[in-house]
Amino acid sequence: MTDFHNDRDAERSTHFGYQSVPESQKAQKVAEVFHSVAAKYDLMNDLMSAGIHRLWKRITIELSGARVGNRILDIAGGTGDLTRQFSRIVGPTGEVVLADINASMLEVGRDRLLDKGVSGNIRFVQADAEKLPFPDNHFDVVTIAFGLRNVTHKEDALRSMLRVLKPGGRLLVLEFSKPTNALLSRAYDVYSFNILPTMGKLITQDADSYRYLAESIRMHPDQETLKAMMSEAGFERVTYHNMTGGIVALHRGIKP
Amino acid sequence: MLYTALLATAEQGVNAALRMDPAALPHLATISGLIVEIECTTPPWKLFVQVGDTGLRLAAHWEAEADVHLRTSARSLLHLALTRDKLAVLQGREVTLQGNRQALFELAAVLQNLELDWEYELSRWLGPLGGQLLGSSFKGQREWIGQSIASLYQMLADYLNEETRALVGQAEAQARFAELDDMNATLSRLEARIERLAQNPTPRAPE
Repeated sequence: MTDFHNDRDAERSTHFGYQSVPESQKAQKVAEVFHSVAAKYDLMNDLMSAGIHRLWKRITIELSGARVGNRILDIAGGTGDLTRQFSRIVGPTGEVVLADINASMLEVGRDRLLDKGVSGNIRFVQADAEKLPFPDNHFDVVTIAFGLRNVTHKEDALRSMLRVLKPGGRLLVLEFSKPTNALLSRAYDVYSFNILPTMGKLITQDADSYRYLAESIRMHPDQETLKAMMSEAGFERVTYHNMTGGIVALHRGIKP
Repeated sequence: MLYTALLATAEQGVNAALRMDPAALPHLATISGLIVEIECTTPPWKLFVQVGDTGLRLAAHWEAEADVHLRTSARSLLHLALTRDKLAVLQGREVTLQGNRQALFELAAVLQNLELDWEYELSRWLGPLGGQLLGSSFKGQREWIGQSIASLYQMLADYLNEETRALVGQAEAQARFAELDDMNATLSRLEARIERLAQNPTPRAPE
């Protein structure tokens, strides 16, 4: 009986980059990272990927099958890159919900979209991917781009996404993954652990956040593991497409 | 990825051109949401065009079903891209269309009637006075180049006709064509007469 209480009271730990932290602290630590980088997030994305992140997102949109009148949820939507494109596609009869757990990122995203004149069919919601505040069978497409690795309980988040999707709806997970070529993998490690934090220090005066980025990518499940997790959560016809030699992978699953 | 990058660049160019015609985007808004699948038979490749009220989206893949499917050869597609009369190419025998043709014809009409308002674009960057001055200067230079080309063409034709006699002049050619036409008519009459004689070989006896 005592042992049972001890197990329940002792908090489980999870990874925050290469560190092990209590589960309750991870969300707070991730939030601190994104509060710190929010203002220069877009600039850093362009610099870090040499603009290729735009092509990764473009392919995500092409494979989403979105069309006029659809209802789309963009989780961890950050500064609204995908939301802006989806807003154009679904038109005035559709709706795009930009959801992010981080208020700073949501604010930057909202301001940026309004500055570009994108409004009318967009809602901004501060929400936790593990407990999405939407009805069951509500969305035609759910996307999460470069956000799943920051979620503490990925299985819970995948199940939550499945719940809010309509039957036949599609989930697209765009995330850093494992390079398929050993040489590319070595070059990528050098880039991630040496150049990336230096760039972060120069531009956002925050090397630690970009060190966390590199570490969190290494701790994220690889292509096959994430595919299995999606199937386990209840998605069907789960496939993935490697991009830029597997540095990024786009996983797609259908709600049965 | 490379194809996607090329399409992204092309899309920016197309949409910049569409924004320069004040009538284009409102027309596109009427067919917003249309998805066109363009399939090239030789060499085989595909392109998807999604119409929106802010421009066109070009994609290498599109998971949703297309509203209209256009299938033709690369030669025909190139012709379609370059020609002013796009509707004539779309209605030609080399192009196979399936689905919402009417919406595709409307898209083609928007593209073929595109009139780029360069002066407006210049005035956005240089202000009304600078835009007007530069626009007028461009227009004057374009007219001058057009007139110079026409004049050069005329002088070359005159030289070849009159000086070197390498070519036959238009008046002389017309006279020869008229003679040929007369000769052709005479031959036709003669042929008809011979045929009539051949059908009645024995002349009737005088009564």
